Amino acid sequence: MRFRFCGDLDCPDWVLAEISTLAKISSVKMKLLCAQVLKDLLEEGIDYEKVSKLTADAKFESGDIKASVAVLSFILSSAAKHNVESESLSSELQQLGLPKEHTSGLCKSYEDKHSALQDKLREKSLRLSRLNSVSWRVDCILSSSELKEVNEPTVHLKLQAQGAESGSAETTVVSVSAEKFRVLLTELKQAQAMMNALQ
Amino acid sequence: MLLVLSEEYKEHLAFLPQVDPAVVFEFGRIAVEFLKRGINSKVYDGAARKLGFPITTVQHGVEGLMFLFTESSKLMITDIDFKDSVMVLGFSTELNEILLQILCFQLYVENQTTIRSTLTQLAPSLPSYHNLEWRLDVQLGSRSMRHQVVPVVTMLLNLTMGTSENRRCCLQTNPSTLLHLIAVLEAALASMKNNHARRILRNIK
Repeated sequence: MRFRFCGDLDCPDWVLAEISTLAKISSVKMKLLCAQVLKDLLEEGIDYEKVSKLTADAKFESGDIKASVAVLSFILSSAAKHNVESESLSSELQQLGLPKEHTSGLCKSYEDKHSALQDKLREKSLRLSRLNSVSWRVDCILSSSELKEVNEPTVHLKLQAQGAESGSAETTVVSVSAEKFRVLLTELKQAQAMMNALQ
Repeated sequence: MLLVLSEEYKEHLAFLPQVDPAVVFEFGRIAVEFLKRGINSKVYDGAARKLGFPITTVQHGVEGLMFLFTESSKLMITDIDFKDSVMVLGFSTELNEILLQILCFQLYVENQTTIRSTLTQLAPSLPSYHNLEWRLDVQLGSRSMRHQVVPVVTMLLNLTMGTSENRRCCLQTNPSTLLHLIAVLEAALASMKNNHARRILRNIK
């Protein structure tokens, strides 16, 4: 059976198994649990105390709590990933056996936070080195050991990037002469024009 | 199979027969704790002061017991072999000997599984797959040529090396190489299901 929220693939077996665990808690508690899981996905921090209080009535053990958080996070993040509307998500979850009230609670929370989730996922997408900051300084070389009167302007550029493979900040310092800098600026402006044309 | 105990080792444990069996049992318990949590040298000070032995003797004694437990767990020694190996240490009276053997063996048996699991963590490990992130890009132009359409798949492979640092590996490929990669990996997965592999797996189980 192909499901849109799984990206037109089969639903994983563990999701099917844990949906029956989710059906054990009441639909109100399920909506609150969804809100907590959404906070975790948006990286606002999840309050495990509240989660264990919500699942305490249904007497979930720690394995069940972890499983229900995992299945909710999978459903919400993969629905946002594949850009599924909340009605089709709702019908697919009901096909999998989640009761109607639970499904409507889940889909309401999903719809509210749909665009915020997608923005967060876009931010988390793979990026190789990211440029953190640029600082520059223009100097004028007056004289050197080779020539008495130089009078040449130079630019010192400091680029701070976050390395992809190392994950830590890397600093590159370059000093560029006036002509080279003009060439660099022209090329970058051409690249910027291409980027603006795409938007 | 018997444990081979060197002369130096027997010297280290030579003072054990001279103390009470209760003390030996306590040392054995300390040795097991150290194997689980790491050595805490303050315990040596306390024990040395109470018994009136120098610290090095106490330290050698506890380390000797630790060695006895790790070697026995490593080789999965049986009852009789353990008793024979320990007999070489030359405990004095008959009663003492039996008591000590029983105590040591009890400690060994109770903690065998934990000691074995700690020992497996010490084995060297190769970097293993942890997580894969990917993205699909299209290169539209470069400094040398505009109006291109070149699709590129970039992958970041997260590897773990045992419990130590994680390694991140950045890879880029074009879609046709990616398809070839997928075909090769699927062939590798399918080779687990051929007759040769099945025969071996059946025999291991």
